[in-house]
Amino acid sequence: MSMPATSIKTPGRIDWKHEAGVAAIAFAVLALLPLFITDSYGRHILIMAFIYAVVASNWDLSLGYGGVFNFGHLALFGIGVYAYGLATKLLGIDPWIALVLSGIVSTAAAVIVTVPILRLKGIYIILVTFGFAQLVMQLILSQSAYTGGTQGMVRIEGLYIASHNMVRDAKFAYFYIALGILLLSTLFLRSLVRSRTGASIVALRDNEEYAISRGISLVRQRMITLASSAFFTGIAGAFYAAYQRNASVDVFGMSLSTIILSMVLLGGTSTIYGAIVASFALTIFSEFMADFGAWRPIITALLIIAVMLVYPSGLAGIASSLFNAIKRRRA
Amino acid sequence: MDAAAQIIFGGLFQGSLYAVMAVGLALIWTTIGVFNFSHGVLMMLGAYVAWQLTALAIPFSVVVPLTMILMAGVGWLLQASVVRPLIGRPNIVLVVVITTLAAASLIENGTLEVWGPRSKQIPALVDGNAMLLGVGVSLHQITIIFITPFILLALWLFLNRTRTGLALRAVAQNEDSALLVGLNVKMLYGLAFAISAALAALAGIFLGGYRFMSPVMGADPLLKALIVVVFGGLSSINGPIFAAYLIGFFEAVCSYYFGLYWTPALLFAVLIITLMVRPEGIFSGKSRGLA
Repeated sequence: MSMPATSIKTPGRIDWKHEAGVAAIAFAVLALLPLFITDSYGRHILIMAFIYAVVASNWDLSLGYGGVFNFGHLALFGIGVYAYGLATKLLGIDPWIALVLSGIVSTAAAVIVTVPILRLKGIYIILVTFGFAQLVMQLILSQSAYTGGTQGMVRIEGLYIASHNMVRDAKFAYFYIALGILLLSTLFLRSLVRSRTGASIVALRDNEEYAISRGISLVRQRMITLASSAFFTGIAGAFYAAYQRNASVDVFGMSLSTIILSMVLLGGTSTIYGAIVASFALTIFSEFMADFGAWRPIITALLIIAVMLVYPSGLAGIASSLFNAIKRRRA
Repeated sequence: MDAAAQIIFGGLFQGSLYAVMAVGLALIWTTIGVFNFSHGVLMMLGAYVAWQLTALAIPFSVVVPLTMILMAGVGWLLQASVVRPLIGRPNIVLVVVITTLAAASLIENGTLEVWGPRSKQIPALVDGNAMLLGVGVSLHQITIIFITPFILLALWLFLNRTRTGLALRAVAQNEDSALLVGLNVKMLYGLAFAISAALAALAGIFLGGYRFMSPVMGADPLLKALIVVVFGGLSSINGPIFAAYLIGFFEAVCSYYFGLYWTPALLFAVLIITLMVRPEGIFSGKSRGLA
């Protein structure tokens, strides 16, 4: 099939060499950041931004590309957190193996939650996945003998590299592990959405009946979408548990979901990069407002509402309208 | 006898609370086609407004209607600020979820800032306790069980027997035609939100009268109301009313026989099975599209 490559306006249709080049430069800049940010606190903020970026960009896969309103995405993250905690503490599994295992457990959970939503659309998917998240939280709370219930789990084993103390040198090692996870996750997501599978996922979102009539399996593609979005989310959860060395059911709460969702929507859906940039912006913005104390969530909420009202396509929309304005001036 | 009385009483009471919460949510869904995720904090805010008015030494019989009127205004404002500007956008369902969630965070943190984290309680509707069929119950709860059906009946009559109510239902069924026959759709959207918020405030007064209030008290009732509307179907307000009582009883039975911890899990299991078998809800004939 020959397609005029320039006329298609779907995201992911930029020449891959261009995209790889820009992404490589961006990641190189991120990798050099520890040279300038030498204090432990500054790096901590960056590590958190990387974790959020992984969770948000993976959510963009199911929400943006798939059009599946999966409101249980943070539950997949939470499952990663607890899978890692339980695997290392209870089963004594090696932390690195547990990290990968948590990704697999989250993927399995995503497959399970996909079954009831196969026949559903829109708001019903929101409700079932929202319910799924609450269900997981209730299960964790009720099994307090293993999970610590409302107290959470403490003293979870961290990651290790030989005999290096991971928190030494201002969290140097954790910074690069977090960046590495973000790199792998982004590489995976971008390759997926640029592939034929990615195109079929978008096709199902945009015109379900037509896509099905052309032989795309809704069941299989929806499974792939949700499962793919879960793997790195689970790993991010496990890394979060290893890094914080504790786990609590707060990760299932509405406030974290709201923040991450606003990262996805602020960045602009169906771009992957938008969610990553918005995660950095919002995490750092939130840090700048640390002095405002209780007003911080209020200001954040107002900002989210303002952006949604003015730029429903998010930061990507702002960027593209700026870009168009520049192009118009040149012409 | 004791067990049966306890289950019947618990089911009726929880069912009443859920019904008052859920009809407001369903009203907005049927008229505007969006889900209001700040419904829970509206309930919470209603309880706090009532507490504040009581603290100003206003008699409680005035406090209840006054709170509902004030909260209706809040509902109208909420609709005008975070919902109405988005109407007509292709991804409105999702965007309204995020704006109402953000509004919920705003109201919740604002409440925390204004009234502080300390638990509060508002007076009961009726003071005192009674023994009923061998179960000790508070008169506050009995009152709620008895007035809720009248409130629901009043709402039903309003929606089915008055001109404005019929106009609301017309908007729910076909917005374009409603606009064509000259209905003020914007006003009706505002009205739906106002009624919904007033009902949420009433639920807040009910809840704040027997349990301590906190800024996060709305989260759980919101979740239950969501389950109720999904369970009952979203095409009318009758479905959610039946579903509210059904779920109230289901919870009462579950927590009596399986304990409080397993009740939510069982509830969600039932919900997920219901949605797999009948995505349009069990009391619903034809739904307003499943999108």
